[in-house]
Amino acid sequence: MRIRCPHCGERDNGEFSYLGDATVVRPDGMSASSEAMHDYVYLRDNPAGLHRELWYHGAGCRSWLVVTRDTRTHEIRDVSSARDVALARHTGDAA
Amino acid sequence: MSEATANVWAPRSAWAGYAKPGRHGRTQGDAGVRLTLRDGIALATVIAADGQTDALRALVSERYGWTLPEPGKSQVSRERGLVWSAPGQWLAVAETRDALRELPDVFRGIAAVTDQSDGRAVVRVSGPNARTLLEKGVAVDLHPRSFQAGRTAVTSISHIGAQLWQLDDAPTYDLAVARSFTGSFWSWLTEAAAEFGYEVEQGSAH
Ligand SMILES: [Zn+2]
Repeated sequence: MRIRCPHCGERDNGEFSYLGDATVVRPDGMSASSEAMHDYVYLRDNPAGLHRELWYHGAGCRSWLVVTRDTRTHEIRDVSSARDVALARHTGDAA
Repeated sequence: MSEATANVWAPRSAWAGYAKPGRHGRTQGDAGVRLTLRDGIALATVIAADGQTDALRALVSERYGWTLPEPGKSQVSRERGLVWSAPGQWLAVAETRDALRELPDVFRGIAAVTDQSDGRAVVRVSGPNARTLLEKGVAVDLHPRSFQAGRTAVTSISHIGAQLWQLDDAPTYDLAVARSFTGSFWSWLTEAAAEFGYEVEQGSAH
């Protein structure tokens, strides 16, 4: 499997580390209910199909990436900088 | 006692104890690879402050006449310049440490500058088999159609983090690894170079 890093180009997946689900968003720890924190920390969906996940390009540009991967075929549909995804999410919150 | 202490703190080449100048590997014919130990090279990471990349671009252009390298690119002429190394980060390179001494002041407020000269070991790889040699360990396409002079890659070689940048079409590459990995990296490099015959030479000292 290869991942096309938006900064470095297409690289062997051995250069990356997998972290996990990129769709979960940490609740505000000071005000969130224990159910919401439990959900955030422990509960994950296991989709057969497209999944957004966090990968770290540790042997390359040391960037966090959001990879959209089909769990049935390993086809990679999109790779974005996690920083850009986070910034867009915050902009969305503000709007 | 004091004499022993002085010896412990004497400057020491990153390659000391590993690399021996001279001809090694295959003995027939000309050496296919030349390995130049670049002990004197000066390196510093330059990390743009949040939102200051445009200011940094304007500054390096105005002061040094350089284009701030795009991802995967480097701008090194007459042994001096910038090599892209991560989003918002570059490696400044120069032949002498004096040449980089002004950077923290020049980039004040715009970018953080951290000296890496003693933190990395750099070797220049050249000779007719230089590309073939590196292709044995670099999982990045180094063929001229996709990698030419002015290109750089941050990758790993034999599980060791490495950055290389191509200097000319010969091709000649400079290759940097973390200094503590010098011994392991050297054993890969020389094992891979042996079939071509290789010449080790000392670059200019500082
Ligand atoms: Zn990368």
